This record gives sequence, C-alpha cells and structure tokens, in this order.
Amino acid sequence: MVSKAFSLYGKIAVVTGDNGFWNTTIATALADAEADIVFAAKDIDSIKQAREQVEHLGQKCIAIPTDTSQPHDVQKMVEQIIKETGKIDILVNASDTEFAKPIDEISEREWNTVIDYNLKSTFFCCQKVGQVMLKQKRGRIINLVSCLAERGMENGTAYCAAMGGILQLTRSLAIEWGKMGITVNAVSIGWFAGQPLTKSPNEGTLLKFIPTRRFGKPEEIGSTVVYLASDATDFYTGQVVYVDGGIMVRP
Amino acid sequence: MVISKMTLKNKVAIITGGGTGLGKAMALSLAKEGADIVVAARRAGPIEQTANEIRQIGRRALSIPTDTTDSAQVNNLIDSTVNNMGGIDILINNAGAVGRQQVGNAPRQMWDIPDDEWLNAINSHLTSVFYCCRRAAKYMVAQKHGKIINIASINGLRGWRNGFAYGAAKAAVVNLTKSIAHTFARDNIQVNCIAPGLIDVRHLQPVPETQDMPLKVDFFPVGRYGIPEDIGNLALFLASDASDYITGSLFVNDGGGIAAGVTPNGYAPIVELRE
Repeated sequence: MVSKAFSLYGKIAVVTGDNGFWNTTIATALADAEADIVFAAKDIDSIKQAREQVEHLGQKCIAIPTDTSQPHDVQKMVEQIIKETGKIDILVNASDTEFAKPIDEISEREWNTVIDYNLKSTFFCCQKVGQVMLKQKRGRIINLVSCLAERGMENGTAYCAAMGGILQLTRSLAIEWGKMGITVNAVSIGWFAGQPLTKSPNEGTLLKFIPTRRFGKPEEIGSTVVYLASDATDFYTGQVVYVDGGIMVRP
Repeated sequence: MVISKMTLKNKVAIITGGGTGLGKAMALSLAKEGADIVVAARRAGPIEQTANEIRQIGRRALSIPTDTTDSAQVNNLIDSTVNNMGGIDILINNAGAVGRQQVGNAPRQMWDIPDDEWLNAINSHLTSVFYCCRRAAKYMVAQKHGKIINIASINGLRGWRNGFAYGAAKAAVVNLTKSIAHTFARDNIQVNCIAPGLIDVRHLQPVPETQDMPLKVDFFPVGRYGIPEDIGNLALFLASDASDYITGSLFVNDGGGIAAGVTPNGYAPIVELRE
C-alpha cells in the first residue's frame, strides 16, 4: 500500500556528491517514491550504481559532471537542469567527505578540501538551486550531516567543524526562507556499517556504544529523506532528524 | 520498498486524549493508513464519536473512557486493548496535550498558584505518560516490537512567562522519552517525542472556538500556525516501519519557531567583510 502523503510523483530531485554509499541509497529511495533524479558529481563513476538503481525503478535519471565546490560549476549545473526539466523540487546535499586525523598533522590542503567538499559545496548548492526554488515559491532542501556536527571526536576537528557548519547553515537558511515556501532540514547520521569513520580497530567498542546495539543500514537513511522531501512536511523546517539508533540520547 | 514501510495495516494503536483536537486528528490519520485504533480520554462522548468515525473508514475501533492520571484505569486501558485487539503496536501519549491556555500571560502571579494546580498539571502532563508507558512496555518487550510516541510541546524546550508546571512537565516528557528509549532500544521498541508548535485546532473542538491564539503568528518563521495534518503525518512516520532506527529523538514540528531565538523576528543586519 502506497501512502499518498509521502509520494514524490512528478518531482525532480537533485542529489549531490561523489559519495557512492549515500548517493545510491538516497537516490534509490527517492526514485522508489517516484521522483526523477539528477546527479551532480565531480566523479561521474561514483554514481554508476545509483544510476542503475534509479533506472531499474523506471524513473528518469540525468547525471551532470559538477565540481560542487565551485560556484560557477554549480550555476552551470542549475542552468542545465532548468533547460532539461524546467524545475527543481528537491535538493539533497550528500557530498559527505569523511576525514579524521590529529590536528597537528592536518595540512592546509586537507583542511580546505574537507571544508570545500562538505560545507562550501552545501552552501553554494543551496544558494544556486535556491534561486530556482524562490521563483517557484516552493522547494525542499535536505542536508546530510553526521552526528559529529554536534558532538566532538578525537581526530575529528576538521570534519566536525564542517559538519557543524552545515547544521548552522541549515537552521539559518530555514529562517531566512521560511516564508518563501522552502523548507530546509538536516538528516544527521549515526554509525553505519561500511563507512570510513566506522571502520576502525575499535569497531566492536563502537557497536556496543550504540543503544540499539547495531549499525545503521543504508536504506534507513533513504526513508527519512523521502519523508522530508514529501508534501507532508510543509511546516517542518530548520530541524535535524537523527537516524542514529539512539546514539545522541546517551551521555 | 521504502514507501511500503509507511503503512500501518492491521497495527493496533492507542491514542490518549483522542476525543478532540490533535488527538482526534492523529487517530484518524493512523486509521486512514490501516491501523486499528483504541481511543481513550476522560469523557465517553467525544471518544465514542472518534471511534465511530474510524469505523466508518473501515477500521476496528474501541473507545475506553480513561483518566490517565489513575494508574488502575491506565492498566485497564492497556490490558483491555491487548485482550480485545490482540496486542499493542503503537502508543501515542497525547492526553493533556492541549495546553494553549498555559502560554502567555497567566491571570495570576506565581505566588498565588495553589499546590493542587501544580500537582494536577504534573500528573496530567507527565505522570500519565509514565503510567501508560510502564504498562505498555511490558507487552511490547514480550512481543519484541513497539512504537511509543509522546506528545510534548515547544513549551518544554524554552522558558515561557508564567508557563511553570506545563513547561516543566513537557520538558520532563522529552527526557523521559530518552530514558525509556535507551532502556528498551535493544528490545526493538522505538520511543520518540513530538513537540508541536502552536497547532490551530479551534475548528475541531466539539464547540468551535473563536478566541485568539496565544502566540502571534510572527513567532513562526514560516508565517502560519500549524494544522493538524502537520502533526498527523509526523505521527504516521514515527508509527511506521520507516522509522525503525530512530529512537529517543525529539521532533520539533513548529514552523521553525525554535530554530530561531537569539534575535527578534525580522532582525536582519548587513555586515561587510573588512578588506
């Protein structure tokens, strides 16, 4: 049984980023809810699996090679989408670039990359895609962040800073565009199997720390993104949805 | 299929305070997605009315008059649900959620508030939630699944002038949610909390109300009050299998009101970077 409250039939969703793990699960869920998908990725190979899933579900799919950290590139991407589809209903910023190192070993180049491909990319995608949504007087922006946006981690300085930045960007933009028909929310992810930050010698310790006593499954992110992208969330903005097995609950 | 997880077909849900307003709206939202509903509240008339409307859309419904501040009555509500409906999959603790009159300027000073007014508010908004969770958890742990949704309020997240007992009780509900979530996380029970902003339910009351809302609409960055569907759809998501890895979380559904807070509404300075 399909609930009409969460259907994305006829909607165009842009999914950004080179993270094959997230762009696959998110695009698959959006396509399952009958949205058509536009991928914006620097490395077009990273969306190969995602594209196959979307097409398998019978939804339309466009891939636009884009360096999302470059405002000019993002602008060109937006223009191409408008030329091909005429609108953008949903933007999911999922460029998640994971990184961890002691602070005294982090180079300027590494810092810039972590900030550029997490925070700067999200900022300029919101800004440029937002111009289309403002004209439409309607839009959904969903920013993927980590629970590390609000909690510290040893070796997490650069990544946590970038994630915290995305979260505050989300809250501010939600207020700025509150009356414009655009909702801006974040999905905050806990520990998921197979992710770089989850793979460490202490994986077992990490697992025991999660109240639910298991890692998240990729599809558990997808269903939350669909909910936030749907027409059911008109009054829901400036918020964070934690998909974390309860990890933010514990001390 | 992601979407197919968002159905409640044949699940049994109890909604306290389900005779009027938000509770009634949530009961109907869940029933439309296929859930069978037990509606509980003090007065028999409104809950039987809700139950009738649910039967009309083809789902099973029971109305059980219950004072949720009385643990014997709460135990009877939960036990009767299990005996008559075959289990309890979803519990929505909404009783006492209509607290709009507590917002804004109270007619009295703090020192004039009598003991029983404080205690009644704590019992109605907090103790009732503990009683309902306590009995339902026993069954949910045994069956190894369950969804509990507690209705708090944005009043529990910030300080409000003269909002004492209501705000304190609602803040306590947020934390009670987290403790119950942590306790039963490994038993596949998800416990989450909704903090609605100001939802306009005046037209849903047995006698439609026309009084002004206690907060100006400017408080909400989206520029409007909530409608019952705003909360109904969220309850549906949290009651469904789509939210199986979400527990102990707070969902503030308030049109962005609580996301703001350090500057007044409309404050928008421009500061250039220095060269």
